[in-house]
Amino acid sequence: MTKGRRGLGGFLADFLRGSREGWAAFLFLAPAIAMVLVLRILPSTQAIIDSVRLPNGSLGLGNFTFLLGDPGFQNSLKVTLLFALIVNPLQIALALALAVLLNDRVPAIGLWRTILLLPVAIPQSISAVIWSVIFRPDGPLNAVLGALGLPEQRFLTSVDQALFCIIVMVSWIGVGYWMTFLIAGLKDIPASLYEAATIDGASAWQQFRHVTLPQLRRPLTFVLVADTVANFLIFAPVQILTSGGPEGSTDLIMNNLYTRAFITNDAGGAAAQTLILVAVVVTIVSVQFRLMLPKEGQA
Amino acid sequence: MSERPIQPARSVAAVLLAAIWLLPLWWAVVSALRRSDTIFKYLSPLSVWTLWPRDFTLDNVAALLSGPFLKAIVTSVFVTGMTIGVGLVLCAAAAFALAVFRFRGQSVVFACLVVSFLIPFDSIAVPLSSVMRQAGLQNSYLGLILPGLGNGLAVFMLRQFFLGIPRELGEAAMMDGLGWWGIFHKIYLPLSRPALIGAGLILFVFQWQAYLWPLLIAPNPQYRVAAVAVADFIGQYDVDFGQMFAAAVLGALIPMIVLLLFQRDFSSSVASSGTKE
Repeated sequence: MTKGRRGLGGFLADFLRGSREGWAAFLFLAPAIAMVLVLRILPSTQAIIDSVRLPNGSLGLGNFTFLLGDPGFQNSLKVTLLFALIVNPLQIALALALAVLLNDRVPAIGLWRTILLLPVAIPQSISAVIWSVIFRPDGPLNAVLGALGLPEQRFLTSVDQALFCIIVMVSWIGVGYWMTFLIAGLKDIPASLYEAATIDGASAWQQFRHVTLPQLRRPLTFVLVADTVANFLIFAPVQILTSGGPEGSTDLIMNNLYTRAFITNDAGGAAAQTLILVAVVVTIVSVQFRLMLPKEGQA
Repeated sequence: MSERPIQPARSVAAVLLAAIWLLPLWWAVVSALRRSDTIFKYLSPLSVWTLWPRDFTLDNVAALLSGPFLKAIVTSVFVTGMTIGVGLVLCAAAAFALAVFRFRGQSVVFACLVVSFLIPFDSIAVPLSSVMRQAGLQNSYLGLILPGLGNGLAVFMLRQFFLGIPRELGEAAMMDGLGWWGIFHKIYLPLSRPALIGAGLILFVFQWQAYLWPLLIAPNPQYRVAAVAVADFIGQYDVDFGQMFAAAVLGALIPMIVLLLFQRDFSSSVASSGTKE
C-alpha cells in the first residue's frame, strides 16, 4: 500500500528519470493509457464543458438546477430507484437459488447450466425484440394465461405492469450469468464444513443458513455490486419495448438521458445528467474493484 | 466430491427451469421457420403446433439473407473480430506491464486503468459521440471498433494470470538476450491461453451486444450492425414477423455458438476473478 501512495507521480518520476523498466513499462501501457484518455477522460471533459455552458452562451450551473427541477428527470429517478430495489434483490435471490440447485446431484448438470447462461450471450436488443412479441396482447404469454383459465393482461401497455415486464425480461437474461459466479463460490467452500455440520445434526436449511451463506459472502457482495451497475444502465430493452412509457412508468435513467440528448435536443441538460450518472457509476465501480482484488497479503 | 447421489426432485426442478428458460428462444426459432401470417395462428388454443412449425418454410430465412441483414451480420463479424484482435494485444500488453515490471505507483496506475475501463461504456457514450463526430469518426468502422478495445475486466483477468507465471522464466530469457517484447509474446502469451480465451470472450460479448453506441455513431444504414438491424424491424409500419424472428435467431446464433464452444473457459476464467477469498 505504501508503494501505491506515491501514485501516478511516482510512475512519471521513474519514467522521466529514464529508468529502463520505467520506459519499457510506459511503452507497454501507452496504448491502454491512450484509450483511457480518448474513451473516458476526453468525453468526461466534454460533458463538464457542455454542462456549464448555458443556452445564452454564459457559464453557470443552470443546467443542473433545471435538470434537478425537471419533473421528467425526477420521475426517471423514481422509476430507476424502484426498478433497482426490485430487480437487484430478485436477481440475486434467483441466482443463488439456481446456483444451489445446480451445484451437484443432478445428471447432465452442465447442460442445464449452459441453457440458463445462453440468454446473456444474446444481444439485449435481440432478446427485447423476441420478448416484445411474447408480451403482445395476442402473444404467447396471454395464450398461456388463457389456457390456465386466467384473465388476459395488458403487459407493456399497462402503467402498472410494464416495468415488471422489463424486470422479468432482464432477469431471464442476467440470472444465469450471476449464477455462474455463485457456483464458482460454492465450489470453494471446503467439504469438511458440511461434514462437520452433518455430524452436529444440522438440517439442510441450517447448513445453508450457517455454512453456505456466510461462506458465500464475498462472491455475493461482488455479484450485488456488479449486478447493480449493469441494471442501472439498462437501455436497449426499455427503448425497444416501451420507449419509457406508458406515461413514463418505465423511463429508466439511460432512456431518459437518450431522450434528453437526441429527442428533446437539450445538450446542456444531457451533459449535466451524464455527469451525475458517471459520478454514481464511478462510486459503485470503485467498490467493485476493491472486491475483485484478493484480500490483503494474498496477492 | 460431486459423486454424491442424484436427487430426483432436484433433477426435475433443473429440467423444468431449463425448459422455461429455453422456451422464448425455441418459440423464436419455430416462428422463424413458419409462414409469417401463421405465427399467431396456433397460440390459442395451445397445441403441439404452438411449438412446432406446421407450415414449415425457409422463405423467411431466404428473404432475409437476400436483403440488407446479411451485410449487418458481416459488419458485426468484422467489427467484433477487429475488436478482439486489437483489444487482446492492447489489454494483454497493459496487463503484462502491470504484472511484470516494478515501478513506483504501479498499484495506482493499475487501479486507475481498471476502474476507468470498468465504468460502463454506455454511461459516457453520449458526450463521446459528440467528440467523435467532431473528429470525423461518424459512420466509420474505426468509430464502431474503438470503444471495445479497452476493457477493465480483461486487463484485470490477464494481470491476475500473468502474476501466476514465475518471474524466473522471464529473467532466464533475458539472460539469453530476449527483450521485453520477446518475453511478452514468446513466453507469457503462449502460457496464457485460458486467460486469453476468457478475455477474448469478454471483448466479444461486449462488441456483439453493442446497441446504444452503433445507434449514436453509425446512423448510416451502410454501417448497421446486427444488434441494431434486428431492432429496426420493430419500428416498421408493417412488421414482417417471420423475417424479424429469422433475423433475431441469426443474430443470436453466432454468440450462442461461441459461448457453447468456450463455455468451460468462460466459467472458469470470468467466474474466478473477483470471487476468490
